[in-house]
Amino acid sequence: MSEVNTVKSAGTMKNIAGKKFRGHLVAGETDAAFYEKGNDTPLVQWNYTRLHRMDNIRRGGTSSQVTVILKDDSRYIFELDHGLKVYNYMDQHWTDKPVTPRTRGDELHRLAELRGEKIQVPKKHMITRRHPNRSIAGDIGIYLLLIIIGAAMAFPLVFQVGASLKPLDEFFRFPPPVWPQHPTTDNFSDLFVTMGQSWVPFSRYLVNTVFITVAGTFGHLVIASMAAFVLAKYQFPGGKTFFAVVTTCLMFSGYVTGIPNYLIMSKLGMIDTYWALILPAFAAPIGLFLMKQFMEGLPTALIEAATIDGASTFGVFWHIVMPNVKPAWLTMIIFSVQSLWNTSAATVIYSEAKKTLVYALGQIQAGGIARTGQVAAAQVIITAVPIIIFILSQSRILETMASSGIKD
Amino acid sequence: MQSQSFASRYLTMRREKMQHGWQLAKRNKVCYLFLAPYAILFFTFFILPIATSIYYSFTYYNILEPARFIGFQNYINLVLQDEVFLTAIKNTFVIAVITGPVGYILSFLFAWFINELPKWLRAIAVVVFYAPSIAANAYTVFSIIFRGDAYGWFNAILMEFGLIEAPKLWLLDPNYMMTILIIVILWMSMGTGFLSFVAGFQGIDRSMFEAGYVDGVRNRWQELYHITLPSMKPMLLFGAVMSITSAFNVSDVPRALCGYPSTDYAARTVVTHLFDYGFSRFEMGYASAIATILFLVMILCKKAIAGLLGRVGT
Repeated sequence: MSEVNTVKSAGTMKNIAGKKFRGHLVAGETDAAFYEKGNDTPLVQWNYTRLHRMDNIRRGGTSSQVTVILKDDSRYIFELDHGLKVYNYMDQHWTDKPVTPRTRGDELHRLAELRGEKIQVPKKHMITRRHPNRSIAGDIGIYLLLIIIGAAMAFPLVFQVGASLKPLDEFFRFPPPVWPQHPTTDNFSDLFVTMGQSWVPFSRYLVNTVFITVAGTFGHLVIASMAAFVLAKYQFPGGKTFFAVVTTCLMFSGYVTGIPNYLIMSKLGMIDTYWALILPAFAAPIGLFLMKQFMEGLPTALIEAATIDGASTFGVFWHIVMPNVKPAWLTMIIFSVQSLWNTSAATVIYSEAKKTLVYALGQIQAGGIARTGQVAAAQVIITAVPIIIFILSQSRILETMASSGIKD
Repeated sequence: MQSQSFASRYLTMRREKMQHGWQLAKRNKVCYLFLAPYAILFFTFFILPIATSIYYSFTYYNILEPARFIGFQNYINLVLQDEVFLTAIKNTFVIAVITGPVGYILSFLFAWFINELPKWLRAIAVVVFYAPSIAANAYTVFSIIFRGDAYGWFNAILMEFGLIEAPKLWLLDPNYMMTILIIVILWMSMGTGFLSFVAGFQGIDRSMFEAGYVDGVRNRWQELYHITLPSMKPMLLFGAVMSITSAFNVSDVPRALCGYPSTDYAARTVVTHLFDYGFSRFEMGYASAIATILFLVMILCKKAIAGLLGRVGT
């Protein structure tokens, strides 16, 4: 008999990973457990946060014969006797994929699997099976619309990149080409020359922006996560009210609070220091909001088990909760980087040596017609950084945003 | 006699409730410790500014002299004497009414359409639609596209096809400014709300669609109304809040594209006006009054939309 594993010791799942167990899966209202044959102590226990996803188990699978395959420490596959598979990931995302054969290919695949033959993995289809209640005309319409609008959305950005690669004479050709005939990187090298000649060196602006972005994002991540953690997982007087206020404050962005903010910062002596940008970024409402919504999806048993084991609240937060909400981190980082990277901070910072990159590039923009190419190059640089970060982290961000939303 | 006992019973109940709350607070005191850093900063940079702004809106305050209380004078001046403010209100209203709902509906529709795509195509589509709002300054490219001379791309295209004789000053002529602003703002409207919709669609339990199909949902529109919309209410409200915020806070785009100040104030919005008084003329009291009016309008809008969304899918 292998040892009992509960969610609290998810790390030890590695010991039984990859092995098959026959037994019963018993799903209750709020929790479920897997029992091996002839053993009263559950082999694995879960606490469900998304019960509606468990319908399939409760409907067809309660107490039935189950094979549980532990893929690794975070992924389980249950195979129910009547051919239903339930997949679990990270104790919170339950999906189901009925394996009842639908096509001839599926059937052959399944037969081969039953015989224990090694089968070739079929090529992944580029376009998945259509939903039964979708009309072909509608599908074509949607594809056409998306292509046309998508092209229109992308056009200005493509135009921007094109402009940054144009030699000066092509800016004054009629009709103006969208994409340059003789692409050149002169604009970029000119930009660096211009920036190098400015009173404050280019690297200084870059260092300022990177410092503000990194410091602001890090502090925001820690401070907002701590607040989100207690708001999501503990009941205490004032918590709900506080969150409602934060939600309302999502609406008051930018300039509206700009004036009094300026007054308060000048009282605190923060004007013309980096703090004027970093400290408000720590308290950005959207980060707290997303983090709280995501943390609510974490199983409470995880926290309770750790508390019983004697972990302090901070220990639970740092060692249990934070490692489990990595997608939410990434989303927070993206939003924070986006807003900090794009600040020009012209209203709260006066010294040239403390200005940000966006501000400096804005100055080049004021340089007129002769600098058209450099302006375009500068713009491409500013735009590219957040877009690349977004592309790299897209799937994780969508995972977090799935739990966004205001319950009214 | 009876009423007194009711009152005393009520008071006892209140006291017990308070005591219970106090005990709960004491037991969870570490929670307040966790909340404190955020709460202090949030109070300093969000709550306090809003409160100060509301206070200054009843004063004359130019930063140099101490604030002088003048009652409702700022509000009266705004409405009765400031013609530019009325232009700003009109413009903001036009922009908000068009780009708010249209941008909101478009983000929802495109998120829905994108959700029908296979996974690899979906990833590309999300980037294409979301990219314009990632980089806050991306709209400056429109100053090249709509440039006033013949080297501006839009002018050149129209002249090539013989639709116009001479180049037009798209960004300086009050007749065209608003249209172009609206186009640019719509281009940027697939923001955080859009992202939340895309993710929301993927979070819907797929067995619900299968159940719907069995129950007689015959096409995608029925599915949208009866299954998808009701399960996305929280995201819909979040998206609405985001879209109200961006629709009412338009200010960077007109300042960058149409100049500051724009010709005849034709592209002035409430926030541009606020920026003018707050950061160019340093009439903080007056600017605060503008800000306060904007707060109230946005809160009312959010309440109205929350009410509307309450009825969806019933």
